[in-house]
Amino acid sequence: MKIIKIILSFLFLSSFVELDSKLKQNRTKKEAVEVNILMPAPFEESTRNLIKKFNNKNDKKIFVRVIRGPMETETVSDLAISNLILNSNQYDAILVDVTWLPKYATAGWLYPLDSLIDKKKWDSLMLGAKKGNSYNKAIYRWPFVADIGLLYWRTDLIKSPPKTPDELIKISKKLQSTNKVKYGYVWQGRQYEGLSCVFLEIIRGFGGNWIDNENNVLLNTTESLEASTWLTSLIKNGISPESVTNFGENESLQIFKSGDSAFMRNWPYAWAELQKDDSKVKGNVAITTMVAKKGITPTATLGSWGFSIIKTSANKEETFKVIEYLTKRTSQIELFKKYGYTPIDRSIYSNKILNKQFPILKFIKSGLEIAYPRPETHVYAQISNVLQRNLSSIITMQKSPKEGMYDAQSDTLNILDSVGGF
Amino acid sequence: MKNRTFILVLSFIIVWSIGPLCWQLYTSFSTPDALINPTIEFTKRWTFDNYKLVLSANPPFWRYLVNSLIVGIISTLITLFIAIPASYSLSKANKIISRISNYYLFGAALFPYVLLFLALLEFARRYNLGNNLLALCIPYSALSMPLAILILTSSFRQIPIEIEEAARIEGLNLIQRLRLILVPLMLPSISSTAILIFLFSWNEYPISLTWISNENLLTLPVAISRIAGSSVYSIPYGAFAAATVVGSIPLLLIVLIFQKQIVSGLMQGAVKG
Amino acid sequence: MINLLLLPAFTLILIVFIIPIIRYGWISLHSFSLATNLSLIPNQFANWDRLLNDSRFWVDIYQTTRFAFVSVFLEIILAMIIALTLNKHFNNRGIIRTISLLPWALPTTIMALGWRWIFNAPYGPIEQLIRILGLAELNILSNPNFTWIATVIADVWKTTPFIAIILLAGLQTIPKDLYEAFKLEGGTYFDSFKEITLPLLKPYISLSIIFRLAQAFGVFDLIQVITSGGPAGSTESIALYAYLNAMRFLDFGYSSTIMVASFILLILLILVINLSIYSGKKILSTIKL
Repeated sequence: MKIIKIILSFLFLSSFVELDSKLKQNRTKKEAVEVNILMPAPFEESTRNLIKKFNNKNDKKIFVRVIRGPMETETVSDLAISNLILNSNQYDAILVDVTWLPKYATAGWLYPLDSLIDKKKWDSLMLGAKKGNSYNKAIYRWPFVADIGLLYWRTDLIKSPPKTPDELIKISKKLQSTNKVKYGYVWQGRQYEGLSCVFLEIIRGFGGNWIDNENNVLLNTTESLEASTWLTSLIKNGISPESVTNFGENESLQIFKSGDSAFMRNWPYAWAELQKDDSKVKGNVAITTMVAKKGITPTATLGSWGFSIIKTSANKEETFKVIEYLTKRTSQIELFKKYGYTPIDRSIYSNKILNKQFPILKFIKSGLEIAYPRPETHVYAQISNVLQRNLSSIITMQKSPKEGMYDAQSDTLNILDSVGGF
Repeated sequence: MKNRTFILVLSFIIVWSIGPLCWQLYTSFSTPDALINPTIEFTKRWTFDNYKLVLSANPPFWRYLVNSLIVGIISTLITLFIAIPASYSLSKANKIISRISNYYLFGAALFPYVLLFLALLEFARRYNLGNNLLALCIPYSALSMPLAILILTSSFRQIPIEIEEAARIEGLNLIQRLRLILVPLMLPSISSTAILIFLFSWNEYPISLTWISNENLLTLPVAISRIAGSSVYSIPYGAFAAATVVGSIPLLLIVLIFQKQIVSGLMQGAVKG
Repeated sequence: MINLLLLPAFTLILIVFIIPIIRYGWISLHSFSLATNLSLIPNQFANWDRLLNDSRFWVDIYQTTRFAFVSVFLEIILAMIIALTLNKHFNNRGIIRTISLLPWALPTTIMALGWRWIFNAPYGPIEQLIRILGLAELNILSNPNFTWIATVIADVWKTTPFIAIILLAGLQTIPKDLYEAFKLEGGTYFDSFKEITLPLLKPYISLSIIFRLAQAFGVFDLIQVITSGGPAGSTESIALYAYLNAMRFLDFGYSSTIMVASFILLILLILVINLSIYSGKKILSTIKL
C-alpha cells in the first residue's frame, strides 16, 4: 500500500508540472502572436540570446518560441517530417538543411517566400548563400548559415597547402615518413551524408560531376573512377587511418585537433573549435579550398541551413519578421564571432575591421565563391543513400572502384526510373 | 562448493554489466581534451562541466525524470490493471479460446514495434493525442500488453487449483479471490512483469519523439538526444554520458527498491508453494 | 462470462497492432510517395514486384537474420549464467542483481551513443586497450566484415538481463528439494543442471528465444545510432530500410511493403524454429508454456 501512496503523490505532483507549463503558455499567448520555430538543438543553443533580445523588444507583439529538436540532423528531419505528415500545425517555420528543401517543397509543405522577400536584400547575399534556396523557380528558404567544405592544413608543418590530389598525397607521405605527423589527411568516410559531400568535391576536382545540369548521372565515368580510386588510395597508402571509413566530422576534428593529422576536410565551424585552448594545433591552422586537378576549379560542397515557412502557418508575415531578425547583418556577425557560423551577407566579407580580426573570412569567401550544391531533386535522399552505400563499399575494399561506381550508376538510374525522373 | 569459479563468474557478470557504464562515468567527468589525450596533466583532466551543462538546462533535468516516471508508472499500472484479469480468465479459458488467444497475443508480442510508428502517428493525429503524457501511456500499455498477459497467464496456471477452490468455499467472490489470494501469490511474476513494462516505457524513443514536442513534457531518452554543443557536427559525448549517469540514478534506486519486493515475494511464493 | 475480462486487453492490442498491419497491407498495394503527391494510387502489385527484385532487401533480410540468431544465441548463454548465479544465496545478492539488471534499464538510443564512443577508433577504450596490448588496430566500426559483431555486442549487453529475468523466474519455480534429492543420489552440479534445470526451464528458454528473435529481427535504433547501416551497408537491418523508405525517402508505399514482407518472413522463421525445437510434434506449442 505504501507504493500506491508514493505513486499517488507522484501523480499529484505531476499534475502541477503540467498545469504549470500550460499556465506559462497561456500567459504569453494572450497579448502576442506566437511564432514557433523548430531548430536542431545546437542552433537553438546558439540563437538563444538573439531570441531573448527579440522577445524583449518589438513592443512584444510577436513572441518567438523555439522548439529544440534533437541534436542529429537526420533525426530533426524525422521529427519535422512526422509533424508535417500529421499536418499538426505545430510549427510556423523550420530551420531546414539544404538537402531537405526539394523534398519538402515537392510535398507541398513549404510556403513560397517570393512575395515576402525584399529584392534588394536578396541581392545583398553572397552568391553561394543564394544557392539551394529555391526549387522549381520559387524561393522556399531564407538562408541562415552558409556551410562549405574546406581543406584545413597545418602552418607549422608546411609553408603552402597542396593544390592537387597528387600534391596532397606527396606532402602527406613526406610528413609521415619523417614522423612529423601520424596521418596525412582525415575526412568523412562514414556511410552517411558527409561521404556524399566529400565525394562531390573530389569528383568535381577530377573534372567530373555527380549529376550535371542536364540531369545526366555521371557516376560511371573515368573521372568518377579516378576520384573513388584516389579516395581508396588514401587509405591503402596509410595517408588516412583505416578507421576513416567510420569518421564523421567530429571524429576527423578530434584527430586533427590533437595534432595527429596534417590535413582535414571539414566545415567552417571547425575553425572556432581549433582556436580553443584545448586545441593542440591552435594558431597553426589555415584553411584553403579542396584539392583539384591542375586546370580545374576546385569545388566546395554547399551545405547550408535556412528558414522555411510552413504552408499551414497562420502567421506567415510575423514569422518572416522573426526570420529577418535572426538573419540580419548584426545577428550574423554576432553568430560568426561567437560560434563561427559562416555569414551570408556580402558586405560582411568586405568589412575591413572584421577581416583584420578574423583572417579566416577571406578564405571562407573564396570557398563560398566556388560553392556547389548537391543535386537539387526531391529524390536526393535516395540517390545520396545509394551513392554513400557504394562509396562505402569501395573505400572498405568490398568492391573495386569500377564495380562500385557501376553499381552506384545503375542503382541511381533504377531509382529515377521508379519515381519517374527528377 | 566451487567457490573460486563462482567468484570468477560473479566478477565477470559485474564487469560485463557495468564496464560500459563505468566508461560512461569516466567520460562524464572528462574534459573533451582528456578524451582524446589520456596523458594530459591532472588539472585539465577532470571537469564538472558536463554535469553543469545537463543540470543547468531549461527546463531543469529533473522534469524529464518526472515525466518519464509518470509515463512509466501509469503505463505499468494500466497494463497490469488490464492484464491481470485478462490473464486470470485466459488461464481458466477452454482450449479453443486459449489457443486462439495465444496465437493472437504471441503474434502481437513478436511484432517489431518500431514498424508500427507510422500507423501510430496517424492514430495520434486523428484523436489529437500529441503532447500529452497520459495519451502516450496508451500505446505503451498496448505494446507491453501481449508479453504481460503471456507471462502472467503462465504463472496463474502454476497456482494450484485447490488454493482458489478453498477460497471459493470460504465465500470469497472473484474480485476478492484475485485481490486477496491470487495476486499476493503471484507477486514475484507481477513485479518482474511490472519492471519489464516500466523499463520499456522509460526507454521508448521513436513514439515519444514523434508524439511529444513540448519541451516541458519530453521523456528522458528524447530529452537526452537534445543535448548539444554549438555545432550539429560535434557529438557531445561527455554531456551525453553525464545525462546517462544522472538519468540512471533514479533507475538504480527503483530497481533496488523493487529488488526487495521481488525477493520477499519470491520467499512467500516459495513458502506457500 | 469470465472471458469478458479479455476484452479490454484484446481491443487495445487490436487497435495498436492489428489495424496498423492491415493498413500497411492496404498501403502496400498502392503508390504512396512524393511522386504521387503523397496520395494513395492503386498500383496492383508493383511494390511487391519491386521488392522481389530488390537485392538490397534480400541482403538486409540476410543481415538481420544473422544479427538476430547470433545475438540471441549469445544472450541465452549469458543469461543462463547470470540467472544461475543470481539464483544462489550469497551476501549482497540484491546489489549484484541490481547491477546485472542495469544495462536493460538504460535507454537504447543513449547507450548506443555510448557504444559508438566505446568502439571509437582510435580514442575508445577498446582501441586503447588493444594498443596497450600491442595488437594491430581493430577498427571494428570501419570494417564491413566485423562491424555487425559490434552491433551484436551492444545488443547482447542491452537485452541479456531481460532473458535473465525470465530464466530467473523459471528457476524460482523449480522446487529446491529436487536438487537435494539429486545430490543425495550423488549427482554433480552439471548433471543436475542437465537433468533438472534444463528440462524444467525449457519452456522459458524457448519463450525467450522466440521472443528475442522477433525483437532482434526488428532491430532499429541501436543500429541507426551506432552505424546508420554502414559501412558498405553491412549492418543495415530490415527495419532500418523500411524506416529510411518512409521517413527519409517519403515512399510510404514501398516502406509498407517492406514491413508487411518482413512480418510474413518473420512468421515463417518462427514456424521453422518451432518445428526444429519440437521436431514437428507440436507447432507453436511454446505458446502454451
